Amino acid sequence: MITINNLEKRHGSLSVLNGVSLTVKQGDVAALIGPSGGGKSTLLRCINGLESFHAGEIVVDGIHLSSKPDGEALRQLRQRVGMVFQQFHLFPHMSALENVMAGPLIVLNWPREKAEPAALQLLDRVGLKDKRDIRPDKLSGGQQQRVAIARALAVQPQAVLFDEPTSALDPRMANEVLAVISDLARQKLTMIVVTHAMGFARQVASAVYVMAEGRVAESGPPQQIFETPKLEVTRRFLLQASAT
Amino acid sequence: MLRFVVAALVSACIATAGLADSLDDVRKRGELVWGGDKEGGGPYIFPDPQNPERVIGFEIDVMSAVCERLGVRSRFEQQNWTQLPDHLRAGRADAIVNGFELTKPKLRDFHATLPYYIYELQLIGRSDDATTSSWDDLRKPGSKKKIGVLGGSAAEDYSKSELGDNAEIVSYDSTTQALEDVVNGKLSATVTDTPAAAFYLPRYAKLHAVGPGVGRGYYSILLRGGSEHSRLRNAINDALLDMIRTGALRDIYRKHGIWNRTQLVFAVKEPGDASTFALYLLREQQEPTQLEGDAKNEESDATAKEEPRGWRAVWLSAPVLLKAAGRTVILSLLSMPLAMLFGLLVALGRLYGHFIIKRVLTLYVEVVRGTPLLLQLFVIFFILPAVGIKFDAGTAAVIGLAINYSAYEAEIYRAGLLAVPIGQMEAALALGMTRRQALWRVVVPQAVRLVMPPVTNDFIALFKDTAVCSAITVVELTKQYNISANSSGAYLQMALVTGLLYLVMSYPLAVLTKRLERNVPHVHV
Repeated sequence: MITINNLEKRHGSLSVLNGVSLTVKQGDVAALIGPSGGGKSTLLRCINGLESFHAGEIVVDGIHLSSKPDGEALRQLRQRVGMVFQQFHLFPHMSALENVMAGPLIVLNWPREKAEPAALQLLDRVGLKDKRDIRPDKLSGGQQQRVAIARALAVQPQAVLFDEPTSALDPRMANEVLAVISDLARQKLTMIVVTHAMGFARQVASAVYVMAEGRVAESGPPQQIFETPKLEVTRRFLLQASAT
Repeated sequence: MLRFVVAALVSACIATAGLADSLDDVRKRGELVWGGDKEGGGPYIFPDPQNPERVIGFEIDVMSAVCERLGVRSRFEQQNWTQLPDHLRAGRADAIVNGFELTKPKLRDFHATLPYYIYELQLIGRSDDATTSSWDDLRKPGSKKKIGVLGGSAAEDYSKSELGDNAEIVSYDSTTQALEDVVNGKLSATVTDTPAAAFYLPRYAKLHAVGPGVGRGYYSILLRGGSEHSRLRNAINDALLDMIRTGALRDIYRKHGIWNRTQLVFAVKEPGDASTFALYLLREQQEPTQLEGDAKNEESDATAKEEPRGWRAVWLSAPVLLKAAGRTVILSLLSMPLAMLFGLLVALGRLYGHFIIKRVLTLYVEVVRGTPLLLQLFVIFFILPAVGIKFDAGTAAVIGLAINYSAYEAEIYRAGLLAVPIGQMEAALALGMTRRQALWRVVVPQAVRLVMPPVTNDFIALFKDTAVCSAITVVELTKQYNISANSSGAYLQMALVTGLLYLVMSYPLAVLTKRLERNVPHVHV
């Protein structure tokens, strides 16, 4: 479904991604964990073309993304891969329902009669059907993130990328959002999740990737990573994560 | 100066008719368009005090009589006096007629007809001021009296050369303001052309004419230079000669109370052709004994019916003031949305366009912001016609205001667009929107909402800037105030009413924009 080969990216002389490779199969949930500045978010943003890279290749559902992609390939790719941001980035001038309908109406050119019931169904799925006409600034952080998930799902992507979806939320609201993501995992949606919520990663992920210094330091099933980590960097990170 | 007219006439008789002959053009259109300024223009051109929507004056009557003889309608067009030569040069009028004295520089650019009136300069002072009883009193070294004159007029030139450093010459925009200041003692005296003196002296009981008229000169109708306009000039000359022969010219001046001994040259029964008459005038000028003496005006036929003053004048001017206010509103409502649209496009181009587009638009903003609105309006109205792009005054005003304000709006929008968080663009792109869709559906609606307060501010500024458009003949509210106040003398009352009108108009605009401000977020996808 998503294959990344030897991805490299630099900011000037600083190497941000240093030959990253990973494969996520259909229905898998990949959790990216690791210390800050390890390249997790950058990798995620490369996958749907929000950032460029210098070398390597990304293949999503048969679409090849090179280091110099054309606009049409990017658009094709982004329709297949949704994205959920740490800061939600809901459109503040639209209601919850309009946010969810934005993709179908503008990108997929659906008529309103088709887009509206579909969007309502998605709002219902994230438990916010009654907030349909509410503007984002009147919603709590957890509610905003759940609307953002519905918005990403509305264009019917093959996979969804989550960039620290709960880092801006207090624990109670984080749990609301994690419950929604777990639910999606049960329905076999392909996902890559950058997260600091270790319990969630352990419970939901089919594979865990530890990223440090721009490369995948260690990867494997959650049990192996969390119980018998091989590398010192993983052990130190897990120790710090459990301490906070 | 008459010498030059004679020379020009003789050469014009030799010159053959040009290509696009303006006489044929005027006849084909069935009307002769001529420019003048009715602001403070009594007795030349001024709003009828009884019915301010009508324009009257001896020049209106002279041109009606001339046009009648050409077999065409006479159409007066309002233009600020100082811009009238530009107006003519740009081909926006066939002629300009508003007390233009014959001078050498004018004859270089324009055709001048035979004189239609001979003016002198009249010194006017307070009746109770014994220290100002002659020009010699003003010449006394060290007396340093203040003398008010119309800026750019023959009176100004004459006063400066006669009095030099012995008096302080103060330049005024309107005859009536100078007269008011003599009455209230700010000035010792003012110098006006004799028709204005004849018109205004009866209205100011405290003022009187000091000494005889001096500095004789000739009013002439000005036409564009070039051989294609000489037939029109000749036709107007023939019309004037006919008016002299039949006494029609004298009748007009009697009606307006400005027929005097100086005008006796126009009383000849057989003026002959244009050059004969011009030579005759030249002879009279060189041997002026016959015309010497006090140039007292004959009693006017239309001696002062009681003229409306104060609030009554305001009441009578209400229709023209309201019409002008309407023009102000229409100008604002047409130009501001255009300015906002141009501004948005310029801002988008500067932020997201190709680098050549960025350069060009940056230049556009700097040039438009760095030059005055007045100059931009002049370019659109007076210069563009020379390269074949001709707008009527209203269109030119809307275009000028829209272009001028678009530069300011562009900068506001640029700031607004930059203030929308980058995450908004990313979220839109991540949904699969194109850059264009992301801009128009997500970023721009938010930027527009952000910039509403400064844009509202500019709307009100533009609303008041419409006053500048009077320079290209648009009679909006401020210009109409000047016209009405100067012709009625009811400055205070007119100012109060005009100010009130501006407030009454800008308040709903403010309310409207506030409502827009609230509504903008409801953008439906």
